[in-house]
Amino acid sequence: MSDETITLYKHMKDLPSNRLLGTGTPMCAGCGGLLAIHQAYDILGEKTVFVNAAGCMTLLAVYPYTPFRGSWLYTSMASAPAGAQGVRDALDIQLARGRIKPEEDLQVVVLTGDGAAYGMGMSSTSSAIEHGLDFIYLCYDNEGYANTGQQSSPATPHGARTSTSTGPQGFGGHKKDLFAIWAAHRPAYVATVIATEPVDLARKIEKAKGLKGSRLIIALSPCPTGWDFDPRETVEIGRLAVKTGMWPLKEYENGKVTHTRVPPKRAPVEEYLEKQGRFAHLFHPRRNEAMLAEIQARVDDYWAGVEADHG
Amino acid sequence: MYRIRFHGRGGQGMKTASRILGSAFFQQGYEVQDAPRYGAERRGAPVFAYVRAARRTIQERGIILEPDLVIVADDSLVPMPAAGVLQGVTPRTVLLISSGETPETWRHRLNIAGPLLTLQAEAAAGAEQHFVGTALAGAAARLVGVITLLALEQAVQLELAGLGGETLSSNLDQALAAYELMAPQAGLVSEGEALAAAAYQRPDWVELPLDEADAAAAAIHAGATSVEVRTGLWRTLRPVIDYQRCNRCWWVCSEFCPDSAIRVNAEHFPEIDYDHCKGCLICVAQCPAHAISAIPESSEAQP
Amino acid sequence: MTRTLITGNAAAAWGARLAGAEYVPAFPITPQTEIIETLAGWIDAGEMECRLVTLESEHSMITAAGAAASTGVRVFSATSSQGLLYGMEMVYAVPGYRAPFVLVNVSRGVQTPVTLEPDHNDVLAARDSGFLQLHCATCQEVLDSTLIAYRLAEDHRVRLPALVNLDGFYLSFTREPVEIPDRAAVEGFLPPYDPETTRFHAGEPVSQGVVVLGGAYYSYFRYEQHLAAQRALEVYDEVAAEFAQQFGRSYDAVETYRSEDAEIVFFMIGSFSTKAKDAVDRLREAGQAVGLVRPRLLRPYPAEALRRALDGKKGVAVIDQNLSMGMGGVLHGELAGALYGRAGMPSVLASFIGGLGGRDIAAEEFYEMAAVTRRACREGSTPPPRLLYTADELRQMRKLQAVAHAERMEGKQ
Repeated sequence: MSDETITLYKHMKDLPSNRLLGTGTPMCAGCGGLLAIHQAYDILGEKTVFVNAAGCMTLLAVYPYTPFRGSWLYTSMASAPAGAQGVRDALDIQLARGRIKPEEDLQVVVLTGDGAAYGMGMSSTSSAIEHGLDFIYLCYDNEGYANTGQQSSPATPHGARTSTSTGPQGFGGHKKDLFAIWAAHRPAYVATVIATEPVDLARKIEKAKGLKGSRLIIALSPCPTGWDFDPRETVEIGRLAVKTGMWPLKEYENGKVTHTRVPPKRAPVEEYLEKQGRFAHLFHPRRNEAMLAEIQARVDDYWAGVEADHG
Repeated sequence: MYRIRFHGRGGQGMKTASRILGSAFFQQGYEVQDAPRYGAERRGAPVFAYVRAARRTIQERGIILEPDLVIVADDSLVPMPAAGVLQGVTPRTVLLISSGETPETWRHRLNIAGPLLTLQAEAAAGAEQHFVGTALAGAAARLVGVITLLALEQAVQLELAGLGGETLSSNLDQALAAYELMAPQAGLVSEGEALAAAAYQRPDWVELPLDEADAAAAAIHAGATSVEVRTGLWRTLRPVIDYQRCNRCWWVCSEFCPDSAIRVNAEHFPEIDYDHCKGCLICVAQCPAHAISAIPESSEAQP
Repeated sequence: MTRTLITGNAAAAWGARLAGAEYVPAFPITPQTEIIETLAGWIDAGEMECRLVTLESEHSMITAAGAAASTGVRVFSATSSQGLLYGMEMVYAVPGYRAPFVLVNVSRGVQTPVTLEPDHNDVLAARDSGFLQLHCATCQEVLDSTLIAYRLAEDHRVRLPALVNLDGFYLSFTREPVEIPDRAAVEGFLPPYDPETTRFHAGEPVSQGVVVLGGAYYSYFRYEQHLAAQRALEVYDEVAAEFAQQFGRSYDAVETYRSEDAEIVFFMIGSFSTKAKDAVDRLREAGQAVGLVRPRLLRPYPAEALRRALDGKKGVAVIDQNLSMGMGGVLHGELAGALYGRAGMPSVLASFIGGLGGRDIAAEEFYEMAAVTRRACREGSTPPPRLLYTADELRQMRKLQAVAHAERMEGKQ
């Protein structure tokens, strides 16, 4: 992260302790998505309206219980950014006409999973960015349609077992590069984060909060249920995603991509893969060397490109 | 008709248990209906499943309101109203609770006179992997008294065929052992009667009033009402902080708690909110000082 | 107040303008596009203080409309046919927000096959959505209904979005003299939008559109929408009476034309009903006691008013400009449901399907429908459903098929 950035968050102990997101949500124990949302919410503050799409987090608010101290609107899987457009425009109209005071204004935050962000909602997201909509998009990416039992989604990594890719090769497709797709729209800000690197996450949310225009953030969200690991491992698995270079932490601003964490010596991807049941078939009953090498090669290629750009 | 309800937590295999019992009845020549029920909650949350079995076509549908047999996989669910374990239990309903405590203790605690049995069924991981539900299905098969050992064995093999050799045989052992254990109570559960139409309690239907739109919209006009949901009840293992060893770096455990269930107190010590901690144990894994350990929840130690 | 020649689309746009719509999420589709173009032109010229945003689909458009209404502004939008169908998930979703707005639908037949001209299958797909539905027969009615729709939808006792329907081509692109009311007069009729308590702003948290699990809780919220829609019947009467007082034009929930002493009545919705009025006049000249009954309001369904209008009639010729495959006309089935088992109701409900994809209904066909219905009353039997389709039309169809299948037919020879 560039040193000229002024931030409140240099160390974990600087992070806010307000815990705005209420307890008592029906998310799975150890949910990596909820972890990212509670961290982000503490920085965004109460003056937010979350506009939600169908996904795991639909169930954050089940009548009469909501964990939000601010507001929330549920729309549909495909159209949360359009809901954000409607809310933002209506707030602007009322601000312009003096019907609400500036201090009553809200930050509009779209909250969707990868199913919506990488797939069904892409059209409405593209439209919102093209309009220069002033909003934050927070995608909790658990790499599958987790709410319905982890079927493969456009964000599922190559080789992963899902409930719709149960064969020995796992999922045959490749995870879509949503960061690049979003960045190609040239919005105000795009970033990848993970809740297991909370300082990096906090600084990016802080930066996004300070900007105007479309600001889009993808949070890789380790999912004990869908990825098949013990819930206590959520943080460890998230750290390994970064250490192995599987989940690059980066941001896009003013036409430029910057990596905010470059693992000095990347751990082999299998350290990350072998901890998750969804990749167990790559190790048992025998190692699938070809697939492991292919996954490693893709990661190496990616970082070779990064080093070339920076070198 | 036999009407049997299984209560447990997400992940304890209640759906599988109901299917094993359903298949065993079916092997025995019964008409069968089995189904799981779950809501928004996830792994660890209370769930239930049910089985109907009869010698004729089953027309009933949905949740069993008046069960002949109630099986509880996790005794911490019994006193929890939200779990609905005791719903519709009558003096002739048999209760089978997976618990280390005696039936007398439970009968006294619940103040019920009907037949109550306990059986300590436990899950195991590794090579001997088995589920709580398998043993309970075996016990249920014996309690109804009309299912043979062979039918039970076939049912377990059918329902767990996808699990592979060792796991299957481990589960089968559990089921058959529980079946044997219940031999003295074979036939304790009897078939219930259908609700008679000749004399019934009239439903107290009301005219739904037209309410104000803001009350009649699915909208919540308040913040953080979810704190009223005690997700602490999902927990089977409890993280406990050893304050002697805690070095007060509360920002680690608190930040990494997905459920916002670790707060910092005035002395800068972290405090776990047991009403809401789901027992994921991320804090146990992440505590730099190893000051947090996991202990089993006992039925007395309800949050 | 000025009387001027404008299209049905322009009338809808004038309705939105006079209502002081503040926000228009939009998406173009024939034959609706002129409405949003007209509004965009006024906004760009500084004649209308409003924000128009073109979304990338009707699904997004209706989402934005519901979201903006929930946030506290008066919203207008318009669509047609496939557009309404594309947005249908949200058409069913947004009424539950209980945040009212007005959506104009310009009816057009739905695919497959693709066509441009109107029938009512598009708007009837939204029949059970929770949107109120007002159906127009003239361009004047389009403008007036838009204003009435806002009052009705926003009424404290209702709080549901409303659809105003007009037929593509027959109204959308057809100019008729329309009285455009003064803005001041409209302001007297339609107060500013009151978002009530469901409004997003800092300081008062609202979680809107949340999950409701459990059949009994779910039933409550769904049935409340039904009760509110039903309450809209009496509110409509109040609003229409006030409109008549203010502007001198009456719009009963059920329009009746020469039906008081009629033995046989036509029953239909939409712009073709003016053709039916013409037919009634000619049939009256021929000595036949025929009239017209036309529900303007389709949701809520004005069952009681329809029963009053049809009490003592011998037969009804129900003309459905829609088709439910494997069942027939939607209006026919609904009317039968409203009349069945009530004393004094007509014994014959004859079903005619006509006007699909804009197919015209000729005067002779109205006369013949009256004759068929009269004969059925005499014979005491209900005739089988009839598609209005002539031998000549079938011959023309065969000619097109011959072209479309030329190769195959040649091959057979």
